[in-house]
Amino acid sequence: MNEKKVTYLEAISQAIREEMLRDEAVFILGEDVGAYGGAFKVSAGLLEEFGSERVIDTPMSEAAIIGSAIGSALMGMRPIAEMQFIDFITCGFDQIINMATKMYWRVGMPVPVVIRGPAGGGTKGGPFHSSSPEAWFFHTPGIKVVVPSTAYDAKGLLKAAIRDNNPVLYLEHKLLYRLPFLREELPAEDYIVPLGKAIIRREGEDMTILSYGAMVHQCLRAAQILEEDDDLEVEVMDLRCISPLDREAIQESVKRTNKVMIVHEDTLTGGIGSELSAILTEDLFEHLDGPITRVAAPDTPFPYAPELEAAYLPNSEKIVAAARELAAY
Amino acid sequence: MPTSVKMPRLGETVAEGTIGSWLKNEGDYVEVDESLAEIETDKINAELPSPVAGRLAKILVQSGATVTVGTDIALIEESADVSADTAAASSAPGPDAAPVKSDTQAAIPLLNEQDERNAATKPSSPAMNRHGEQKEEEERQRISPLARRLAREHGLDLNDITGTGTGGRVRKEDIMAYLEQRSSVATAPVQVPAVPAAVAVAPAPAYTAGEDEEVVTPSKMRLSIAEHMVRSKRTSPHATTVVEVDMTNIARWLQQHKDEFKQREGYGISFVPFVMKAVCEGIRKVPLINSTWTEDNRIIVKKRINLGVAVATDVGLVVPTIHGADQYTLAGLAKQIHAIAQRARVNKLTIQDMQGSTFVVNNPGVFGTIISVPIINQPHAGILSMDAVVKRPVVTEDDAIAIRSMMYLCLSFDHRVLDGAGAAGFLQAVRAKLQSYGREIDVY
Repeated sequence: MNEKKVTYLEAISQAIREEMLRDEAVFILGEDVGAYGGAFKVSAGLLEEFGSERVIDTPMSEAAIIGSAIGSALMGMRPIAEMQFIDFITCGFDQIINMATKMYWRVGMPVPVVIRGPAGGGTKGGPFHSSSPEAWFFHTPGIKVVVPSTAYDAKGLLKAAIRDNNPVLYLEHKLLYRLPFLREELPAEDYIVPLGKAIIRREGEDMTILSYGAMVHQCLRAAQILEEDDDLEVEVMDLRCISPLDREAIQESVKRTNKVMIVHEDTLTGGIGSELSAILTEDLFEHLDGPITRVAAPDTPFPYAPELEAAYLPNSEKIVAAARELAAY
Repeated sequence: MPTSVKMPRLGETVAEGTIGSWLKNEGDYVEVDESLAEIETDKINAELPSPVAGRLAKILVQSGATVTVGTDIALIEESADVSADTAAASSAPGPDAAPVKSDTQAAIPLLNEQDERNAATKPSSPAMNRHGEQKEEEERQRISPLARRLAREHGLDLNDITGTGTGGRVRKEDIMAYLEQRSSVATAPVQVPAVPAAVAVAPAPAYTAGEDEEVVTPSKMRLSIAEHMVRSKRTSPHATTVVEVDMTNIARWLQQHKDEFKQREGYGISFVPFVMKAVCEGIRKVPLINSTWTEDNRIIVKKRINLGVAVATDVGLVVPTIHGADQYTLAGLAKQIHAIAQRARVNKLTIQDMQGSTFVVNNPGVFGTIISVPIINQPHAGILSMDAVVKRPVVTEDDAIAIRSMMYLCLSFDHRVLDGAGAAGFLQAVRAKLQSYGREIDVY
């Protein structure tokens, strides 16, 4: 293994460390982020390097973590609040929705908070350790939502999130943390990936698949199968940031391919796909050559049994099947 | 042994069909006559009824694929209690026989794309059907929004464009293919394929229109008619013979009773049922005119008299069939003609309507023509044109000159099957029947 190549998780760690080095206002707080180095070891070594004033182990209260982060941000700090599992962000929901997102609107004071944590399933984590909570925040004005799918983006987007003056929810997919094929060599110099810019991961003319996070890789696998077996050229767009959405890039792609599928790991109803579908219908109705198709998890809580989890999660097989139907439409 | 389901012949002149979509999935159970798939041809679209009850064991031809008539397209494992009639369904079809039992498909309305498009005022279809079970109302609007815009931008008539999407939906690639074809094939002559199967839509040498020319791309139906006409002329040595018929008594009867008849029956009566009735009489006298010359040089004489009636519709000429025409009274024929013409004009002809004809009666007379030389509807042995009934001064048998209502009957016949004498014998019998009517006519 080339030592220069880093995992998705290491890319996140690098971003935090580099930002803490760059800006003294940046600090991290959360459950076990200090002495233990974080449940997934994202913050391993930071306590030793930056000390307990900038790497703060907190009590087990998400409301307290997020609330103190907001308070410190109002006082000029740039906190990174870690949720041990993103599922527990619901305990801090009020602080985010009623405080963080509205503060600038109410009193004109920016809240440069990053709330981040491991999201998503596929790790046999059951109903409390597998969720994809983006839709709640996607719905809420005043907070940006970032969902990286590669190591490069994980680092560049986190740096951009930390430097952003708005609250940013940064969802890292725990399944991607140590995936060997996501290891890549990152630029030695400082870089960011701007928030709100999608990227085309694979070009194609027959349809566009819009996705984000871990599902991007399922989409790419599906696109490969569709090329080999069906001679279909599928374009895969990684949204990277779902709030704000890169409407321009989406329009540009769908105007070319005329068919669009949306894939996300979150449940179907009221998901990102619902809003994308509405936007596409409003903006591009007469460019559509088939129905906007969604592949998402069914509307149930996340299952625990491995067989059920496998059946529950969207995957390349489901994407291929839906794409074939859409192509034939 | 599973029963094979074959691509049906949707119309005499149609050599191949496309599976629009499968309405059943492999493993599904079907009843006799339950719709299995949507079939599309150049002329009509129809749902294909299952010949037997059982389980759809295997789909052999996927939706979107085009195969020649008679090709096995699916296998059905019969339910244990289904018996004898399956043998008929699975046996090889004759040259013009329907591969699917005709009695199983009597009244299946054709899909009417035009209607569906027009009817699509309600909120459009709910996307794709993931369960493969396509209800008609879910497929009302068979054109994608993009295709609709492209058609509008290019000034295209959507009727001319065959949809290749699920359920025959017109989509982007259909519009693109049409535009490409229009610019490249253009006025190139219709290709007559070596095998009399495929309709010539094959790319022909490009023709660039001059400044004073306009390139018109024929519709699929036009191409189909063109192919059939060329093939017919090439297949049968046509000879044409004409007789003049005194229609005076029939004309007078019609003049006096036609309105009252229509009021009473709800449908009109014209010269056509009289001619059809007389044609049946002629066929009884000269059965050879109701036959087919086969490729292996045999003559198959048809015992049933199924008369095709040429009907001009907005989209082109169709020739639906009145089965067992000799079994009807004049009023009965008038009723059948009315029904079939109605169905043709609203594009609701059935598979049954479009197949099994043995002879055609054509009526260009409605357009005022006095002599026509028709082309045989393959694989028939003859075709009769009835021209306009006009008043002419006529020398009667007692050498007087009288004003009579006269009509020319023009018969084109396949000279391989019979000679001038036989053809004339047929026409004489038709004329004799038509002139046999007196002042009082019982049409029932």
